[in-house]
Amino acid sequence: MGKRWGMTIDLDLCTGCQACVVSCQAENNIPINTEENFQQRRAIEWIRVERYWEGEFPTVKARYIPVPCMMCENAPCEPVCPVYATYHTDQGLNFQVYNRCIGTRYCSVNCHWHVRFFNFWEPKWPASLEQQLNPLVSVRSRGVMEKCSFCIQRIDHAQQSAKLQGRDMKDGEFTTACAQACPTRAIVFGDLNDANSEVAKTVATTGRGYQLLADLGTNPAVVYLKKIDSDPLPDGIKHRYFDSSQVGSIRETVAVG
Amino acid sequence: MRRRDFLKLVAASGAGTVVFTGCAGTNIDFSSWGNGNPSREFQIQSAVDNPQDFAVGRDLWYATAFSGVAGGSGLIVRVYEGRAKKVDGNPDYPLNMGRSTALEQSLVQELYHPDRIGGPLRLKGARGSGSYEAISWDEAQTEFNSMITAGKGSTLLITSSVSGSTAAAAGQFIKAIGGEHVTFEPEERIVLREATRRVFGSDRLPTFDLANANFLLNFGAEFLNDWVSPVHLSIGYSAFRQGRAGTRGRYWHVGPQLSATAASADKWVPINPGTEGLVALAMAQVMTSQGLVDKAAAASVYSGITLDDYSPDKVAPKAGVTVDQITELAKTFASQKPAVAIAGTSAGAHTNGLFNLTAVYSLNYLVGAVGAKGGVVINPDSPLPDVLPNATVGTAYRDWKPITDKLKSGGTKLVLIHNANPVYGLPPAMGFQAALGAGAKVVSFSNFMDETTTQADLILPTCVVLEDWGLHVPDPGPGYQLVGLQQPVVKPFVDAKPLVDLLIGAATTAGASMPWKTNEDLVRATVAQLQQAGGGNITGTDDPKEYFVTVQGQGGWWDPSTTAKTPPTAPKTATKAAEPQFAGDSPYYLLPFPTNSLSYGEYSNLPWLQALPEPISTNVWSTWVEINPTTGKTLKVETGDVVKLITTTATVELPVYINPAAATDIMLVPFGQGHVIFSRYAEKRGSNPLSFIVPQVESETGALAWAATRVKIEKANKKVRVPRLEGSVPAYQLEEFPIIEIQNTK
Repeated sequence: MGKRWGMTIDLDLCTGCQACVVSCQAENNIPINTEENFQQRRAIEWIRVERYWEGEFPTVKARYIPVPCMMCENAPCEPVCPVYATYHTDQGLNFQVYNRCIGTRYCSVNCHWHVRFFNFWEPKWPASLEQQLNPLVSVRSRGVMEKCSFCIQRIDHAQQSAKLQGRDMKDGEFTTACAQACPTRAIVFGDLNDANSEVAKTVATTGRGYQLLADLGTNPAVVYLKKIDSDPLPDGIKHRYFDSSQVGSIRETVAVG
Repeated sequence: MRRRDFLKLVAASGAGTVVFTGCAGTNIDFSSWGNGNPSREFQIQSAVDNPQDFAVGRDLWYATAFSGVAGGSGLIVRVYEGRAKKVDGNPDYPLNMGRSTALEQSLVQELYHPDRIGGPLRLKGARGSGSYEAISWDEAQTEFNSMITAGKGSTLLITSSVSGSTAAAAGQFIKAIGGEHVTFEPEERIVLREATRRVFGSDRLPTFDLANANFLLNFGAEFLNDWVSPVHLSIGYSAFRQGRAGTRGRYWHVGPQLSATAASADKWVPINPGTEGLVALAMAQVMTSQGLVDKAAAASVYSGITLDDYSPDKVAPKAGVTVDQITELAKTFASQKPAVAIAGTSAGAHTNGLFNLTAVYSLNYLVGAVGAKGGVVINPDSPLPDVLPNATVGTAYRDWKPITDKLKSGGTKLVLIHNANPVYGLPPAMGFQAALGAGAKVVSFSNFMDETTTQADLILPTCVVLEDWGLHVPDPGPGYQLVGLQQPVVKPFVDAKPLVDLLIGAATTAGASMPWKTNEDLVRATVAQLQQAGGGNITGTDDPKEYFVTVQGQGGWWDPSTTAKTPPTAPKTATKAAEPQFAGDSPYYLLPFPTNSLSYGEYSNLPWLQALPEPISTNVWSTWVEINPTTGKTLKVETGDVVKLITTTATVELPVYINPAAATDIMLVPFGQGHVIFSRYAEKRGSNPLSFIVPQVESETGALAWAATRVKIEKANKKVRVPRLEGSVPAYQLEEFPIIEIQNTK
């Protein structure tokens, strides 16, 4: 069986520290998100940590969920690209070819997890900060869609090293930037098709596994492990929402341009 | 070639950084170079000594260490053609085991920051004008030397908390020059140190064996985000939750805020600010009166306190909880052993902060958690306390008064500042900025123009973390002796010099004879002393060069067999119980909080951290005030409305963020912003809570009680958009379609 790169993300371990977010930004040459980018709702975070509420003070909880690209097997974003800039690799990755992308943004419309990000503007860094850019990752230009790539540059390197040594890749000999940084090892990366890999073993034996928006039938490669709660709130707590501005009546208009 | 021969070759070269060697690998695997992962190889000639454009076409990883704002970590840095690309955790370093924080990941931005001061500067205009002229290092050195000579005997050195080689150098410097070395660190850390000293009899912060605990009771400490040693404690937390088959630790959080760390708790018990100690005593009362714990143990650690005066019915109304909640806390803590109790962050930042912390930490004795599996782990002394001192302790707010007075009166002639920003970090009431301008000469070793740097006569930029040498004694350690080795992974990106080199040069100028010539000499000499002293996990070599190269390769020196020798000693008398005092008479508490990304504002100049959403609110790049929804309706404000926060110190305008988890009478304001100047990314942005709290002091330590202010609110009839992550994508969690699925174990 060929490889299928995937991840398990244990929600019982994620502490919302977001070391994964910065690690990804450092590894993948992601432009700095300015205040304006956030106001325009165009901040680029290939992996982001979402926070959901349950209830309201004093019976309230907040929970975290890291959301990278799901690498869906039946990705809704792939069939709609007019130039085939996004396609499925034989290792299960949903691949984005930057220099093919013509910026129709149809793929991001189709992504229900909203993990695709468009470069509305030319990414710029002050000259000195360019020293930090990772030479193994393309710097995208304006008009190009980008998203989490499961650190394809690391996958490639590990693959080449293994080939040079005439052996197969070993589970755990490399990992994605987000998984490497995570202090609690909430994120684990590996080959879902390798029965001996940590991710495959977890998926096979856990009673807590689920996929985000599984009902949509895309079969994501990211398997979440349910958050465990030893002290749940009383039944009937309503109000679960991401955007707390839905509590009040405020509706913000999105800045255009 | 055998490894030993190769090591000898490398050791003979003598100089330069040595590449990270990884987990005791013995094979040199050339084909694994440049695969983006820490490899097990040596490079004889490091990029540090090579020209900047040294092109190998491969990356290499170097181990170094960072003492940081909290505890510290061992790091590995990916260097590509002389440029640092990525900072990650050192997989072998016992404290963080390859993991890292957002701050550590951002250290490359400090190195390549566009607003880094490029070279020495001399004040051109009036003090505080920000008008400087660039000068050469020769000129700067001459001027510095004359200032040192003139300031002999009355020099004030202000640094962040330092340990190991930097502390040793600072100590020698002050001895040679004559003067005082004070440490500037987060105030609640000072209270924490005193609390653990009293309760456990140790000068070093303890760590906690979460991996083997069944119940964690946390009174406010942000231990998963930015308190003390977040990566180390997160690793323990991970094992606590999912590291043992069939057992999952239970975590309850007691505190006034559902903070970033509290969100990970199974249960949050909201209490009124500053009542942590009272709740702890009430718990102790329940446990002893119901025979759940050893009465004698309780009587011993709480000696001097009549626990019945703190029964739940008396404490509950003060803490804003019910009797049942306290009873449940007590019963659970006593029955789900191993149990461990910790406290920190805002719990220590009250007028009764020391009482809060000591009362909580003392609970550990009642359940046998001190020095036991799954409990409090006392850290041993540094392996060489004289040459590798433990971390220096911060100077409490109250003790800055005589320092400031001495500056004002002319008693201090020279002020040297490194890695500290007291003009920003001390409330304006202290008058520190004015005191700096009273006549002393001020030299800043800072790399950035900040509130304190712009008061300097002379600015001598010093190497940042990734450019310098050092040996760190982390506080807390992992429960055994550990020394982290910091080594330069790149040449200085600007015209900066190592701090310790400058201190050594200055002391020599003043006529003292220092044991070392440079920082690198100091580090090498100290490692040689470590080797002489024996111990450590580096064996099989007598050659000091080979030994040093091995320390460089693994990123430090450690010895898991060296746990604390002296057992913890319980206090003879308990710290006096006290209720928290607040300044102001409004019904609302003002509760500032350090954030996951910016902590107290020491690294607000790094754009990745500014752009990192605060975990609970997801807000970025700003300061805001979190208000409960019901309170918001009462005040007729929604997210985005600007309100005036009025204390007896100042009035400040901040945008509202409606937080469904905020208590109805607490106004939460994050630390980190409000810099007048601190690079393009931090200047003139938001507000500094320290500028509008009413500065009170913790009654015994004199530390700043920054959580002891009450605040009035008024609408400002303005609206702004609060920049944040939430709302960027239409993500709704519906009852029928949960996004976060939960498995209840009850």
